[in-house]
Amino acid sequence: MGVNVSEHGRRAGASSILLLALTGCYVGIGEAPSGDIADSDAIEDEADGSETDGDETDGDGESPLVIDPGPAVLPRLTTGQYRNSLEQILGPGLPVVALEPDTNPYLFYSIGATTTSLSELGTQQYEEAADEITQMIWDDADRRLALVGCEPMVPGDACAQGFIEDFGRRAYRRPLLPDELAVWQEVAAEMAASDAWEGLRLAVAGMLQSPQFLYRFELGEPDPEDPARLRYTSFEMASRLSFLLWNVTPDDTLLDAAQAGELLDAPSVRAHAERMLDDPRASAAIQAFFAQYLDLGRLDEVTRDVESYPMFTQTLPQSMRTEVQLLVDDFVFHRDVDIRGIFGTRNTFVNEELAALYEVDAPGASPTEFVPVELPADGPRAGLLTLGAFLTMNAHETEPSPTLRGKYVRERVMCQTIPAPPEDVDTTLPEDEGEAKTLRERLEQHVTDPLCAGCHSFIDPPGFLFENFDSIGAFRTVEPGGYPIDATGELDGESLANATELGPLLASSPVVGECMVTQLFRHAQGRLELPQEQDILTDLSERFAEDGYRFRELLLTLIVHESYRTLAPQEGA
Amino acid sequence: MSRIHLSRRTLLRGMAGGAAVSLALPPLEAMLGVNGARADSGEDEPIFGIFFWGNGTPWHAEHGNIQGQGGHPDLWTPATTGPGYTPSELLMPLAAHPVSVVTGLEPKTEVPSQPPGQGAGHMRGFMVSMTSDRVRTEGFDHPSHTLSARRPTLDQYVAKHDDFYGSDVPRFRSLVMGVSKARFHNYGHWKAISYNGPESLNQPVMEPQALYEMLFDVPADTTQVERRAQLLDAVLDNAHDLRARLGAADRARLDEHLAHVDEIQRRLELSLTACDDPGAPEDSEDLIAKTELMAQLLARGLLCGLTRVFSFMLTSPATTHRFTNLGVPNGMHKVCHDGHWQEIRDITEYHMQAFARFLDVMQDTVDPTGASLLDRMLVYGTSEYGEGYKHSMRELPVLFAGRACGAINPGVHERHPRGNLSVAHVTLLRALGIPTESYGFSGAETSDQFSDILA
Repeated sequence: MGVNVSEHGRRAGASSILLLALTGCYVGIGEAPSGDIADSDAIEDEADGSETDGDETDGDGESPLVIDPGPAVLPRLTTGQYRNSLEQILGPGLPVVALEPDTNPYLFYSIGATTTSLSELGTQQYEEAADEITQMIWDDADRRLALVGCEPMVPGDACAQGFIEDFGRRAYRRPLLPDELAVWQEVAAEMAASDAWEGLRLAVAGMLQSPQFLYRFELGEPDPEDPARLRYTSFEMASRLSFLLWNVTPDDTLLDAAQAGELLDAPSVRAHAERMLDDPRASAAIQAFFAQYLDLGRLDEVTRDVESYPMFTQTLPQSMRTEVQLLVDDFVFHRDVDIRGIFGTRNTFVNEELAALYEVDAPGASPTEFVPVELPADGPRAGLLTLGAFLTMNAHETEPSPTLRGKYVRERVMCQTIPAPPEDVDTTLPEDEGEAKTLRERLEQHVTDPLCAGCHSFIDPPGFLFENFDSIGAFRTVEPGGYPIDATGELDGESLANATELGPLLASSPVVGECMVTQLFRHAQGRLELPQEQDILTDLSERFAEDGYRFRELLLTLIVHESYRTLAPQEGA
Repeated sequence: MSRIHLSRRTLLRGMAGGAAVSLALPPLEAMLGVNGARADSGEDEPIFGIFFWGNGTPWHAEHGNIQGQGGHPDLWTPATTGPGYTPSELLMPLAAHPVSVVTGLEPKTEVPSQPPGQGAGHMRGFMVSMTSDRVRTEGFDHPSHTLSARRPTLDQYVAKHDDFYGSDVPRFRSLVMGVSKARFHNYGHWKAISYNGPESLNQPVMEPQALYEMLFDVPADTTQVERRAQLLDAVLDNAHDLRARLGAADRARLDEHLAHVDEIQRRLELSLTACDDPGAPEDSEDLIAKTELMAQLLARGLLCGLTRVFSFMLTSPATTHRFTNLGVPNGMHKVCHDGHWQEIRDITEYHMQAFARFLDVMQDTVDPTGASLLDRMLVYGTSEYGEGYKHSMRELPVLFAGRACGAINPGVHERHPRGNLSVAHVTLLRALGIPTESYGFSGAETSDQFSDILA
């Protein structure tokens, strides 16, 4: 039992990165503790924008990359994908139905979608949704006619048959197999006696709760270039492109391209991906990735005692989230520049309450209107980690948390793994007794206790850099009680005066770029990387660096990458 | 995976194969018998429930001798044992319902060394109190707190046990409910306490309105309901060929989905017989008020025979619920770790007050013969560990409320220092009439029972 990690280990196993001793705390994401923040020049010099053409065989004379892809996963549509897809195939304006909530192990809903089973209640909700939504459309004669495109006169007539075939391709993301077509034709023709419209409604309701719609069966076909592995079919590539870039089932344009066999070669896939990236739906989907990678969902849980924090409002966490979205949008879609810059930039976007929180002038800002501002060069803020979202979600109701903030820098920004505290450890911080006055001084007790020191001397020092910011991210120079704040800190041997010195360091770090690549890979594949995929990640990271860390380019590199278009045969299937 | 196919399904399958088969169906009632609503029978059939709260109880010396905050009194363990024990301070809220209590229990499951961290209280303690087994090694990841169960939690074990329902399965095998929305993480067992098996959680119904609709909002148009049920035949038939090329884990996930479809179909068919409509409920953010609202709906459903198994998650494992009503500004998990004993004492008392309100509702719900629902019930009250300050699993709280149709002696305190928690499970399974030679896994195996409590 204990050694049988095969099935799960291949899919979600991070066990190989968990072996650690008490003294040394972290293990980097790729097993070997790869670069400290300080050795940042390695790839840096090459990152001057040398052009690549996106051809995945471009090896530049280095030893050729051997792609050893992982096996298929079976994602169930996330709630967002389900809703988006229904709107795409049935038209907008559908009722909001109750669905089983998504889960996000390892940060990503896409990983929850491939690992968890649907509950009985969730299954029932799909059944109820299919019934409710089709009833609602069918109750409106114009609407159902718009959907079906013709008036069925008798069950099983040409109109009905043609619609089932067309709708089936949209719902199943491929043409229906003969048996599938036969079942839905029969349902439409027989189940509602002579009522042709009702028969069609039942067929649609049936397809909407079929596994073929609710799950993405992307199982591959023999790869003519390599008999040892499979490649995704043209239709499966349409699905992979569409769910990654638009978070929705493929539209007719993509399905037509798939039908024509266009999505089997890299240039064509890239052309479609570029077209899709220019659509606003791509922005929303990429924002969803960043929200998960940066763990912004935690902002939804934030509450603060308004007596202690009078500037806190119910809308403030959402404003902070919007700020991050605008920053990401600016870096990825408007300016298409080095994405790591979000960690160092003094440019941001504020509405009225964020301007007040940051104490900056923001002409034109209102409660809902965000305007670009440049934060003062001699001010305390530079980069995402000095903005409201990070500072607030990594703080407690009554006091900030250098440990949570340091942990975020390590885990989220640098993809380093930190083990949980040992069991049976005394986690009480001394209250204001003795000499320790500030939170920092109390926390430094961690480092005097050898049981705690291994990790806390790794986690806390970067976290101390943010001590100038309280639980909602407002600047402060003293703690409650009047104790002056010491916000000096350190990251991997580099002493830093405050958070503004950390930002530029992160913004030029290859580790930050590698981390983003790893997280995008996990999000796109719906699973953790496998040990044999380390080469793939390295290759993607190198290309990312060569392309000046432009995230849009990274997406295109990933999508056309052999590793995204091929898969391993399923054992025992 | 065994699926029972109604003959109507076979009809449709024949049709799908191309044969022209009439879809004229036998009347549903003829196929179903009368097990949709049966308030007129079932007085002798026990009801099993789990009432779960997060973060255990306040710590004291018995939780382990290395406590940094020893010196706090034990407000949980009653001073006397046996029938008619005197309730302790924290059990006082439950005094109106002579609950039986067992103290001193702890997990006895082995803790594999790899991956590390499988001994952690939120995880090991939870799995043992709910499954009598350790956490599942495959996929376990302590840094991200990702874990799964090796087997069904007790509610699902009972709900799917042939000796519990036999052939008379009600509309819902079980109901899974929750009250507090606070979550330690937004995934896995931090959101739900009911497992069907590995990676398969039953998310709780969280809103009184949703529970009301699920139980009592029966469509008026029976033709439509019949069609919905019948349509699921086509869904199932159509899905069968999908299994072939899947890997084992994904095939299991798909099979589970299809088994649910089967169950939903059965449920739709049974929904044709309605229960008395108790009226749409209010909602409340107050945990006790919401507990009462949910309990009232549940009680009406139980009375109508809609189910005989439930789990009720007052607060989730490692709950971060903020008990601002008690003057506690931070989430409970942090409050535990920060060592605020008095606040944890107050929160635990509040948890017990909520449990008491839940039991009040069950006590006050009587069937036509005048018997209280609580007399038929066995409600297993538990948490994920003994205390949250250091995650000690010693002294894990175990309560038995109700009489399980006379199988449980109420108002008894048994104390078993360092005792095996799985004995509680043997006891309750036997009380429910499920033959149980032994229970407990991975080192926790036992055939003992609490003989003062099991009648």
